[in-house]
Amino acid sequence: MATSEPRGTARRDFLKAAGVLAVGTATVGSAAACDVKEPTQTAADDQGLERVRGFDRTMLDAVAAAVLPESLGAPAIRAVTDRFVAWADGYDPVAEEMHGYGYADIRYLPADPAPAWRAQLQALDVLAQKTTRQSFARLPLDAQRAVLSATLRTERGDRLPSPLGARHVALAVLAFWGSSPEAWNLALGAQVSPATCRTLGDAVKRPLPLAGERA
Amino acid sequence: MIIQNSETTVHEADICIVGSGITAAMMAAHLAEHTTQSVLVVEAGKPTTAFRDRTRARERFLAYGESPWKADHLDDQNAFGTTWGFSPSMHVGGLAMHWGGVSPRYSPEDFQLRSLYGVGSDWPFSYTDLDPFYQEAEERMGVAGEQGPPALDPRGKPYPLPPLPINYNLAQLQQWAGKADIATWSTPSAKNSVERDGRAQCQRCDTCYPVCPTGAKYSPDFTWDALMAAKKITLLTQTLIRRLEADAKTGRITAATGNRTDATGAPVTVRAKTFVLAAGFVWSPHLLLLSRSEAFPNGLANRSGLVGKYLAGHRNVNAYLQLPMELLPGINAQHSLVSKQFMRPGKQSRYLRHDLRIWESSVGREPRLRDDNETLLFGDALLKDWQQRAKGATARVRGYYDVLPDKESKLWLDNTHTNRFGDPMPTMAFKDAPESAALREFQEESLRDLFRRMAKAGGGEILRMENSANDLGQEHPTGGCRMGTDPMDSVVNGDGRAHDHENLWVAGAPAQPTASCCNGTLTFVAVGLKTAAAIAKG
Ligand SMILES: Cc1cc2nc3c(=O)[nH]c(=O)nc-3n(C[C@H](O)[C@H](O)[C@H](O)COP(=O)(O)OP(=O)(O)OC[C@H]3O[C@@H](n4cnc5c(N)ncnc54)[C@H](O)[C@@H]3O)c2cc1C
Ligand code: SF4
Repeated sequence: MATSEPRGTARRDFLKAAGVLAVGTATVGSAAACDVKEPTQTAADDQGLERVRGFDRTMLDAVAAAVLPESLGAPAIRAVTDRFVAWADGYDPVAEEMHGYGYADIRYLPADPAPAWRAQLQALDVLAQKTTRQSFARLPLDAQRAVLSATLRTERGDRLPSPLGARHVALAVLAFWGSSPEAWNLALGAQVSPATCRTLGDAVKRPLPLAGERA
Repeated sequence: MIIQNSETTVHEADICIVGSGITAAMMAAHLAEHTTQSVLVVEAGKPTTAFRDRTRARERFLAYGESPWKADHLDDQNAFGTTWGFSPSMHVGGLAMHWGGVSPRYSPEDFQLRSLYGVGSDWPFSYTDLDPFYQEAEERMGVAGEQGPPALDPRGKPYPLPPLPINYNLAQLQQWAGKADIATWSTPSAKNSVERDGRAQCQRCDTCYPVCPTGAKYSPDFTWDALMAAKKITLLTQTLIRRLEADAKTGRITAATGNRTDATGAPVTVRAKTFVLAAGFVWSPHLLLLSRSEAFPNGLANRSGLVGKYLAGHRNVNAYLQLPMELLPGINAQHSLVSKQFMRPGKQSRYLRHDLRIWESSVGREPRLRDDNETLLFGDALLKDWQQRAKGATARVRGYYDVLPDKESKLWLDNTHTNRFGDPMPTMAFKDAPESAALREFQEESLRDLFRRMAKAGGGEILRMENSANDLGQEHPTGGCRMGTDPMDSVVNGDGRAHDHENLWVAGAPAQPTASCCNGTLTFVAVGLKTAAAIAKG
């Protein structure tokens, strides 16, 4: 994985400037016009790019469970991880980026980050074996987080990267979840569901609280 | 009519429109209703992502940042220099396939800057003259808007569509602005607030810019599809016009010639009685300059030497403010409040006019990886930290201030970059008029002061302020073929007819002498419709 800022930066800047929350994966509401499937289809194969797909799920599940909020519950964490895998598999390396205001040249998305993420999963396991004599997946949560902390020690902390720009697989999973409408709802404690299709007229009301929360 | 011979395909029509952007679409619709003349529209690019594919295109844009607009440019047809605000998109529908749909009118003052403030130029017509064409543009694209205070927002007739609602977040921000004595209202937008023309009501999914999956946002393909289905026009795609040919004696344009942009590159000629350049602010002056000949060595319509000159636009100052209220960002993030209070400043010691827009923002409310002690956050600790940070409110405010163009704010043919046919590409250099350059610091500081005052009035604080990233280029660019009454001081007259060529018209953005201080497309279209009405009259 390249260490420099990926080309996706332009898109993030655009979303920021446009006042749009960056949403990692589109889970669009019920309105028929917006009804979408998971973004797994890709043109990469048509372009002759050989892509390995999938992850070591034991390791990825363990990493996801270590970084995502435990209060989501195991089934929800599993669902996020499934969506993350589908998202990573569906990536089309070097597809053309959106060009809007700001620059006149044509820019392209970065190379496939998944090979580095796969290697990092292996490396986490090796590190766990070296420092604790156990595989990462078998470690208690605290010990897993200690291994992750050592690995992420140079990461800046003021905000999560974009999922595509994450330099480490643990950050990629976290950022992927953190940019979803569901995560924003949890953070805001209300059913805002950013970037999903909803009724226009409802916008005047305060969004309903999440189940189990007080307004 | 199409005539095929071994060398070139010749098309014939009464009216030839070069370009298929939003200005051309609205003009073609007007001409189809008001004349019986045949209309041929020539577009250099292909159609881009079909409406049925936009949901998926949006999904991939959100997921990965992929462009939702497929094959929307010509690799070798691009502009250089200070091109902020320029988009390389060249395809059926032009830039407005992926515009934001924000559609304010200019204010009456914009048409009389020299008379009122002693700066810039007066337009050859007034706001009142343009009002019916503004209305027509709003009705054709379907603008949803709220009537602002009439003194600030004068209109001959009501908006065609009810306003997009002032949502929960904007209602709070409106009250806050009121504390600083600023009147705001729902920003006019070319988005369906109710179902219309077979297109959906907006579903506040917030990707208007760049792609609307529901069709609620107006884009020119809707107009082209309807015109073609009704056999009202012919649309010739993948055809780049490279020269307009003018009769050396009469100055009349006799043909537009160019080539296919598909693999054949085959030559194409269009013969027409009337030629309309609706190719946007870059390509319209570029084509006039490219069309130089022995009789017209400086290019066409260029007796004044002003083709490509006086490029205009505006810049902005932007701020994020923390406010003592609770906003829930994401309700409808691309919708906003607008105020035109500062576009009508009355008598003042130094010239400053700007618009004002207010949005909800998620800045400073995002999840983070480390807490204030630099400790890494995982799991529930991260969520708890985020929930704390998400409380409260951030507002984004922005003022576009107008920048008066200098004559040397210009576009020229640059032989260092050529397209596949060997045509030099345009290079641009934006330049403020000296009066504008001298005011810049004062203008930007005044905007910052206003934001500080707004923060203070609402008990908030400024998180950060920034100037437009486009220090050299400018937003909503216009100009290059400015209109006026004096042929030595302008390229086209107030209707867009070239002073030098009686059957050549330049429509919309390039004809404008100044660019106001708000989004310009509605005005580009209204100016184009004024031209269409003049063409239809004959
Ligand atoms: C990302 C983005 C967001 C925007 N949001 C807003 C907004 O919210 N509000 C607003 O007011 N404005 C907005 N704008 C600006 C707006 O899109 C443009 O002002 C508007 O679309 C310009 O329309 P036009 O008809 O003048 O020209 P264009 O859209 O540039 O159309 C010109 C067409 O002519 C074709 N052409 C050029 N030369 C030739 C030739 N020689 N032969 C054949 N064809 C040719 C081109 O391919 C193109 O299709 C936005 C722009 C961008 C890029
Ligand atoms: S918010 Fe409305 S106009 Fe914008 S993309 Fe969604 S449906 Fe279209």
